[in-house]
Amino acid sequence: MKYVLVDRFLELEAGRRAKSVKCVTAGEGFFGEADEYPPTLVLETILQTGGTVARLVAAPGTRTMLGKVERARFPAAARPGDRIVCEVEAILSRPEGTMCRGVARVDGRVVGEAEFMIIYLPEALTPKESPAAREQRRLLWQSLGIPWDGQ
Amino acid sequence: MDEQEIVSKVRQCVATALGRDEDEVQVDKKLQSDLEAESIDYLDITFQLEKAFGISIDKDELFPQKIFQDEELVKNGVVTEKGLQFLEEKLPFADLATFRKDPRVTRVPDLFTVGLLVNYVKTKLASS
Repeated sequence: MKYVLVDRFLELEAGRRAKSVKCVTAGEGFFGEADEYPPTLVLETILQTGGTVARLVAAPGTRTMLGKVERARFPAAARPGDRIVCEVEAILSRPEGTMCRGVARVDGRVVGEAEFMIIYLPEALTPKESPAAREQRRLLWQSLGIPWDGQ
Repeated sequence: MDEQEIVSKVRQCVATALGRDEDEVQVDKKLQSDLEAESIDYLDITFQLEKAFGISIDKDELFPQKIFQDEELVKNGVVTEKGLQFLEEKLPFADLATFRKDPRVTRVPDLFTVGLLVNYVKTKLASS
């Protein structure tokens, strides 16, 4: 995750489900004239939530990567000041990947939903993480409420 | 489950995985060249079949990747005799008689048709 959109995980069950929160602020600077938070970033928040669910059960020596997104829809907009709550569940899992379904809501109103696949790739096929980047990730996971597995 | 029901469910699975209308997904269609399936879609199809039929499909059981990776199975872009035996063992439902006449490895994806999936599921259900 180069750009972390999730502010905190409220609930997290490795390989099964997660609930996260993302607070939209005007300072993020992504807004057009309509003051609407871009749906792509709502989607990215859902994906980061699901990616973490899958990553925590990835086999040693593998990394997670987004495979595909299906049936994404954004029936309402999120705006600065909104608190987006994402709920993601893993609906199907195999050694090669996990299929997830996620929904993002603001005050109970759906602002985004999608099904998506997270795939597991051998570490050798993914960019190598430097010790400094790893330490940065450890601190980030700590602040987000993700248990650190040392991987 | 009768054959018609299996065909219908397999078509639904492929249509869902590829974002296609079911009408487009006929048994003679090739997943890649006719329905534009990409590599990640094969995993999605596996997911959908497992869910729809309550079966468990081992990694590389339905879509064996080894044929594209093992140098003994493919030489100079052509599937070797050992490679053909490997395909016969892994894909007994595929039309390998036709494939043998022109065994270029680039033609391997054409073996994967909706009909092959139907035959695979039939065999899988019969053995469970």
